[in-house]
Amino acid sequence: MAMNPMEQFEVKPIVPLHIGPYDVSFTNQSLFMCLVVALVTLFLTVAMSRRRLVPSRTQSMAEISYEFVANMIDSTMGDEGLVFFPFIFAIFMFVLLSNFLGLFPGAFTVTSQIVVTFALTAFVMLTVVVVGFARHGLGFLKLFVPKAPFILLILLVPIEIISFLTRLVSLSVRLFANMLAGHTMLAVFASFVVALGAAGVFLKPLAIAPMLMIVFIGALEMLVAFLQAYVFAILTCIYLNEALHLHEQH
Amino acid sequence: MPPPESDDLRRLGERIDEAGKRRAQGTKQAAPTSLGIAFRFATEMVSALAVGAGLGWGVDWAFDHWVHLQTRPWGMVVLFVLGAIAGIRNVMAAAKELNAEMAKKDVEK
Repeated sequence: MAMNPMEQFEVKPIVPLHIGPYDVSFTNQSLFMCLVVALVTLFLTVAMSRRRLVPSRTQSMAEISYEFVANMIDSTMGDEGLVFFPFIFAIFMFVLLSNFLGLFPGAFTVTSQIVVTFALTAFVMLTVVVVGFARHGLGFLKLFVPKAPFILLILLVPIEIISFLTRLVSLSVRLFANMLAGHTMLAVFASFVVALGAAGVFLKPLAIAPMLMIVFIGALEMLVAFLQAYVFAILTCIYLNEALHLHEQH
Repeated sequence: MPPPESDDLRRLGERIDEAGKRRAQGTKQAAPTSLGIAFRFATEMVSALAVGAGLGWGVDWAFDHWVHLQTRPWGMVVLFVLGAIAGIRNVMAAAKELNAEMAKKDVEK
């Protein structure tokens, strides 16, 4: 029995569509992204439809997620950062729900695709640049000029620019690699269970070991799913904060 | 006021104070695991190298394609080294940040 742990990441077209030379098929990935957005919307509208002073369980879940993101923004950007609340909240909920949805057996993990995480990151960094220029005009470029003698600047400015662009890669790769690694690990251990189960009578009971492993890794993956959504959102906050205030601590 | 109610009120007051303190402190971050730290440093370094090399390749390509100037290996050589420097700087910044965090946690203990 050939089992490929990477098979779960295959993007398969559901409704093939071609516009000119481009393949814009509606794939399982698009389906799950729509599903995530629909779930977030449904969860929040249902949770807040019957508002009560003493919240029901679903309502308090919605309130907790609201407060969590609001606190995060407040602690990194201060009160003026709250302008970005809708942006950060949307990103956080999208990533969180995609991560959690991906943990269901048979589900497709949207955030395990570098395209998706990179697009999210590119959007974040574009926002940072736009906010920076809108706030400071050309003064935003001071972000790339550290305090140093002029001659050193020839070397330092390109380094600063590279390290700014690095975020584009590190932010997207962090989320993508975490999800990819976790799900691959789960699939590998699952294939051990099947292989040992199909083996001889004496090896059969050993299948319980990787089975237990799956349970533990599954729990760990829950933590990772939340933690990565949190990290993604808080780094977005930190980068936006830098665009708002340039670097005052340097 | 009957005693149980005032007790409730006192407890509510305590909880509000606590929430206020938490707000002032900022959200408590989960302590990073060693694996998480290692992974973070690795991504910082590797992505800086990748961006440096990519930029260098792009610069060479642009010069070749638009200016018709053969700079081929040099843009990549220089920017790759700059990328390495940027990566080391990023890792050092991350380490400094982590150190400060740990020191703060030690003080709290």
